Amino acid sequence: MSERTVIIASRTGLHARPAALFVKAAADQGVPVKISVGDKKPVPAASMLAVLSLGAEHGTEVTLQAEGPGADEALDSLAALLARDLDAEESTDA
Amino acid sequence: MSELLHRGAVRLDATATGRDDAIRQCGEALVRTGAVDPAYVDTMLERERSVSTYVGEGVAIPHGTLNGKDSVRHDAVSFVRFPDGVTWEDDQQVILCIGIAATGDGHVRLLSELAQILLDPDRARALRETTDIDEVVRLLQPAGEEEPA
Repeated sequence: MSERTVIIASRTGLHARPAALFVKAAADQGVPVKISVGDKKPVPAASMLAVLSLGAEHGTEVTLQAEGPGADEALDSLAALLARDLDAEESTDA
Repeated sequence: MSELLHRGAVRLDATATGRDDAIRQCGEALVRTGAVDPAYVDTMLERERSVSTYVGEGVAIPHGTLNGKDSVRHDAVSFVRFPDGVTWEDDQQVILCIGIAATGDGHVRLLSELAQILLDPDRARALRETTDIDEVVRLLQPAGEEEPA
């Protein structure tokens, strides 16, 4: 099992556009990825409802997990995505 | 969340001509109960054009953009059910349209609470099937805060 921890960089947290981009990217990976906040149960990163249920705001630390071939590459690319301000691409969006 | 969902913002048997009409009905339910000014509804449509608020399982959670914050008087939720479904992006069928309005950063917490309720199979099914508005109000309370029976 590989893991990455990353701080949510998007100004308005992990919902709307940032969540949509993240969930799509997670679904496009070759391996199932899970995401969790704190001690709470990891949930599928490719499920919008599950990702929204985390309530991850700007500055929240999340943990990504995956295992199997390609897990490290998948986690690296998803962690890099969350470390970017995905709201910056559209300043009027929240 | 019970105080956030006003009985007057619940519709169980609505029909819509399409996505924008469904969102407008969700927004107007929030206007009707005094949670937002009419301008908020336009920002809900604006957001939907920018990014879909479809969350899976036949549910959409429309909400306004950052620019719409000035139109929000207090945090609130509306619940509009379309038994015949409304076609969203990519031909997804939406049955439940849950409008939200929040001041400040309250939307992330609200979305999280709603998502947890919708991920609970029993509560999600009841929200699709109940004919009792009071049950909807009761179901849309955060886990652990249900009133005693």
